[in-house]
Amino acid sequence: MATTFADHLRSLTDADLGELLRLRPDLVMPVPADLSALAVRAQSRVSVARALDGLDHFTLQILDAARLTRDPDDGTTSVDAVLAMAARPEARAALTRLRALFLITGPDDALHVVPAVDEVSSPYPAGLGRPAADLDPRTAALCADPARLRRTLLAAPPQARAVLDRLADGPPVGTLTGTANAPVSWLVDNALLVRISDEAVEMPREVGLLLRRDAGPLGAVRPQPPAVTGTARDPKTADSAGAGQAMEAVRLAEALLDALDAEPAAMLRSGGVGVRDLRRLAKATGVDEPVAALLLEVANAAGLAGEAERSAGEPLFLPTIGYDAWRGQTLAPRWERLATAWLAMTRQASLVGQRDERDRPINALSMEVERAGAPAARQAVLEVLGDLPPGTAPTPEEVLALLAWRAPRRAKGRENAHLAVLADAATLGVTGLGAITSYGRLLAAPDGEGGASDEDPLGVRAGGDSEFSEVARQLDGLLPAPVDHVLIQADLTVVVPGPPEPTLADELELVAEHESAGGASVYRVTEATIRRALDAGYTADDLHALFRRRSRTPVPQGLTYLVDDIARKHGGLRVGGAGAYIRSDDEALLVQLLADRRLASLGLRRLAPTVLATPYQVGRLLTALREAGYPPVHEDASGAAVVARPKTRRAAVRAVAALKTEPPALTAPRLAGIVEHIRRGDAAARAARRAPVTVRAANGHGVEGLTAVQAHTQALAVLQQAVRDKALVWVGYVDAHGATASRLVRPVSIGAGYLRAEDERTEMLHTFALHRITAAVLDS
Amino acid sequence: MTGGPLIVQSDKTLLLEVDHSDAQACRMAIAPFAELERSPEHVHTYRLTPLGLWNARAAGHDAEGVVDALLRFSRYPVPHALLVDVAETMDRYGRLQLLNHPTDGLVLRGLDRAVLTEVSKSKKLAGMLGAHVDEDTIIVHPSERGRLKQALLKLGWPAEDLAGYVDGESHQIELSFEGWTLRTYQQEAVDGFWAGGSGVVVLPCGAGKTLVGAAAMAQAQATTLILVTNTVAGRQWKRELLARTSLTEEEIGEYSGERKEIRPVTIATYQVLTARRGGAFTHLDLFNARDWGLVIYDEVHLLPAPIFRFTADLQARRRLGLTATLVREDGREGDVFSLIGPKRYDAPWKDIESQGWIAPADCTEVRVTLTDDERMAYATADQEDRYRFAATARSKLPVVKALVERHKGDQILVIGAYIDQLHSLGEALDAPIVQGSTTNKERERLFDEFRSGALKTLVISRVGNFSIDLPEATVAVQVSGTFGSRQEEAQRLGRVLRPKSDGRQAHFYTVVSRDTIDTEYAAHRQRFLAEQGYAYTIVDADDVLA
Repeated sequence: MATTFADHLRSLTDADLGELLRLRPDLVMPVPADLSALAVRAQSRVSVARALDGLDHFTLQILDAARLTRDPDDGTTSVDAVLAMAARPEARAALTRLRALFLITGPDDALHVVPAVDEVSSPYPAGLGRPAADLDPRTAALCADPARLRRTLLAAPPQARAVLDRLADGPPVGTLTGTANAPVSWLVDNALLVRISDEAVEMPREVGLLLRRDAGPLGAVRPQPPAVTGTARDPKTADSAGAGQAMEAVRLAEALLDALDAEPAAMLRSGGVGVRDLRRLAKATGVDEPVAALLLEVANAAGLAGEAERSAGEPLFLPTIGYDAWRGQTLAPRWERLATAWLAMTRQASLVGQRDERDRPINALSMEVERAGAPAARQAVLEVLGDLPPGTAPTPEEVLALLAWRAPRRAKGRENAHLAVLADAATLGVTGLGAITSYGRLLAAPDGEGGASDEDPLGVRAGGDSEFSEVARQLDGLLPAPVDHVLIQADLTVVVPGPPEPTLADELELVAEHESAGGASVYRVTEATIRRALDAGYTADDLHALFRRRSRTPVPQGLTYLVDDIARKHGGLRVGGAGAYIRSDDEALLVQLLADRRLASLGLRRLAPTVLATPYQVGRLLTALREAGYPPVHEDASGAAVVARPKTRRAAVRAVAALKTEPPALTAPRLAGIVEHIRRGDAAARAARRAPVTVRAANGHGVEGLTAVQAHTQALAVLQQAVRDKALVWVGYVDAHGATASRLVRPVSIGAGYLRAEDERTEMLHTFALHRITAAVLDS
Repeated sequence: MTGGPLIVQSDKTLLLEVDHSDAQACRMAIAPFAELERSPEHVHTYRLTPLGLWNARAAGHDAEGVVDALLRFSRYPVPHALLVDVAETMDRYGRLQLLNHPTDGLVLRGLDRAVLTEVSKSKKLAGMLGAHVDEDTIIVHPSERGRLKQALLKLGWPAEDLAGYVDGESHQIELSFEGWTLRTYQQEAVDGFWAGGSGVVVLPCGAGKTLVGAAAMAQAQATTLILVTNTVAGRQWKRELLARTSLTEEEIGEYSGERKEIRPVTIATYQVLTARRGGAFTHLDLFNARDWGLVIYDEVHLLPAPIFRFTADLQARRRLGLTATLVREDGREGDVFSLIGPKRYDAPWKDIESQGWIAPADCTEVRVTLTDDERMAYATADQEDRYRFAATARSKLPVVKALVERHKGDQILVIGAYIDQLHSLGEALDAPIVQGSTTNKERERLFDEFRSGALKTLVISRVGNFSIDLPEATVAVQVSGTFGSRQEEAQRLGRVLRPKSDGRQAHFYTVVSRDTIDTEYAAHRQRFLAEQGYAYTIVDADDVLA
């Protein structure tokens, strides 16, 4: 088969071959050596599965039709048969697509489905069971007689009929739960269902087809994606809401990183940032924890925050150098940095706060948040949104339905991830009011489609904008322009009617308190802030000038008064350092000291008529005064005279080694513990001794004379023998925790990578993964 | 970017640029759902609160309309999260309804079964709910109607009260328009109140709240209980009602410390209602003395806690709250909302002033530098005495005297809080004093003299804070107050805001001691008025004395 397939590839034109490689790019990674290699790869399970993953619901249905219409003898089908089964005009295009992908090969009247398709798709094409002939002779006999089959069906009691209808919608296999299941029993007795195991029944293909008389053999055929009935909004409105949210996202990210700057988060030893730190950051930022987790993950992915090692203790998580540069940028490129990081990060922040399989909470920035498929999920969701007309806001359910139609194999089981993408996109402002924004569209567009790079590869055009990407430019057009003036009001609030220029923001940050943020910024001037500005070196005149320069409206008298009033009081108390002081009630004496040239080296300064101060220490002051012939008295902090005594020298005390203590006495509970421990070890050893040597040895190191692979192969052979003979076997295996164990069991079946075996002692059915089995020995 | 007048902030405040050409249209659009928080000269601040949004829902506005108004007038993009939050909050109102069931009486109906289940399990509602009528309906004990609404509001699922009102005992009341008509805003206030059934009307001092009350009575055509702060205020209500309505002397009763009359229209004071004997409220029967069709709460921002409790039992009667400032120093605005009702009308002071309905006022803070002795006394005073020391500093006397001199010929009120200080002021200014111990008769006489112009200067204590109608007062000098009370400051300014016959400007002075706690309290007191657009000029006492 591979040869013929390779021959077929050989016969293709270069263009057709190129088309195949374009449709299935994974075939050239790495580039195959020759066409035989390409043929093998194109039919490999991995590649076929990947090709199937990209197919929409309808094309997969047509593929199922091809599988169903195969001739039982030579396994071929024909275009006509497939189209007849689908009974839809769109089916021809779908079939062409499948042939272009080489999932179906051969001429029109002898189509082959690539064998790997059966291996990687459901064993029940179109949700129909196996033909009756493959299942059970009694059922086959029934199905061979259409009239009797129809009669039997009509005779089914209503409850049984309900079961049939459910199985007819697919999948055709039902699991039995509970004990009394009269309808199913009736169906099995009447050969409409076949019992395929103790717990499962299957509906034969013929019965399913008969039940689908009205819907058609493929069931409900959906050649078109599901319709979206969600609200249609003015694209401008969506853009506006999105841009507002984008501003908000940047502001929140900055607030979060500032909080992180003020107090970095400690990285846990198990990885990630602890719940307490996350809660603190969320509170400081003014958002709930999921949003904080998202911002933290995005900031990390964008390189705005990172881990820093510490010499002692856990590493810290804090803003990077890149953060400072980012902060200096304008809004649009800042947002773009966050959004592109989000788009590409292999992390699913919505997992933070949920519980892992061991029921421990998942921490932000920990390994558990890693999801390799996250970027693909984002791309898929944004593509779905982007393909809708601008301004369309589908409900989350509709988005899921669209994803399920576009690539059912990919969407299955990823619903939560997709919903998380929608939530993230709303939080970051990629979408607005549920519709994707114009700049969000550009962001999601694959490289080269939205960017201006083709036309302007060097970024020469529009000098000032050259560092702006198309996305940033589009967003920037929606964002407010920076403002360099303020409105000052009598209640001492200062309103910046737009995003403040960086210099204005810095000035206001000092002279006023931030009260409210958003489209505009509101600040309040208080006594404390004026004082802060004065402390920072502003004078009252500077402040007046600042307010006058920045204000579009007259500066209220109240503010002017406040500044003057505080400036007047400012500095009313002076604080400084001094080494020692001299005080005396005799003012004349102090004047004399000041004038004394011998004391000039002391740097005496007159603080008050009765107080002098010097930067030097008391000792030097006393000595100098005494040498100059003055009689000073040394006083302490409370003003009492200090009587000086000469110091005596002493050696430092050496630590005396502590006495060695006796080993701790064995208390009764501790003894009991030790005994129990020994007994348990003993019991375990004895139990292990019961297992044959080979099994034990295999568990430890490997069977003598055999490699691990050989031992494993041998073990499988033993097990297969045991299944046939229903014999007891000792099985050695590695359990889920990596520990080795052995168990005496009676194998029941081997298949799908698992051994199912019965433990006679506990009367339980066990399942062992084959690759974990290290040895098997028949019980003697 | 639309260049609109509105800027939406992340903390759910809305900044409205007043000088923008669309400002008026925008104000009309956002007023139904946003609460005016401050209105200084250039940028007014509105706030989106759950209360405000539910209020809008109650008035029939939906989330789409709110979102649309925000987007239409916003200058900058509005964050998506905020819009979602608005929609979700509004969606919470009305999931539960209080209804009159034809057979089971008052019931709580859930339009959303999950919400009904959630609240019925709440401990806060224990004892208020009875048996289930069906899966979506639970019987409510009629006596718990008010408390249930309070509790549901706290749970964040405010109920829509559709159980209606009793008509009360019918009584004919007509407005007698003789040389006057209802002003537009007064009519709007009455209409807003009547459409909602019950609620609060916020109008500046001097803007004619009494007339709103009278018009509401005329609309109700029913016996009315009016609750006021004190006897003098009650008598002013009576005077006004006699002049502006068809009511006669015999139809209006006074229920106060002095008289206990119960008439079709009865005016009672908070004080007498909350008076206790032996721990029990002895005058509660008044609420049930007649089948009142309307209860009016004057100065609702002062409503004492016990009255809230009585009001919880009055939920079947129409309730109208009147106030100039819905600022409660105790933060019980939520109780006003759930028990009296939502705010039905609100107008910025400056708007009314620009329409000429209240006098323009000039507010000045005069800072007095204390003498060194006073500073020493202040510095060494106990913490709790500090404000009294600073507020009653004798250095204030010459300043007050100078101010009174400056406005010679005007009608001047000197307002203070400390009796000793008032006495020395009375002596210094040679003016009579109205204080708590002054008899009602004496007060009436002094007020009459003042109104007639025979008396030019009057010194009043805290009793003069409210509801004293002295239209010709043009100057008020405040020397001390109740610490940092914002509403007291507003009420005192209100004393001089009644429009003057000659359209003169009013003056409001507050004399404070520099560098003391007095200044700090003054700043806090002024905050409400400053937010209403009254700019204080600060001057030094030396400038006044010079």
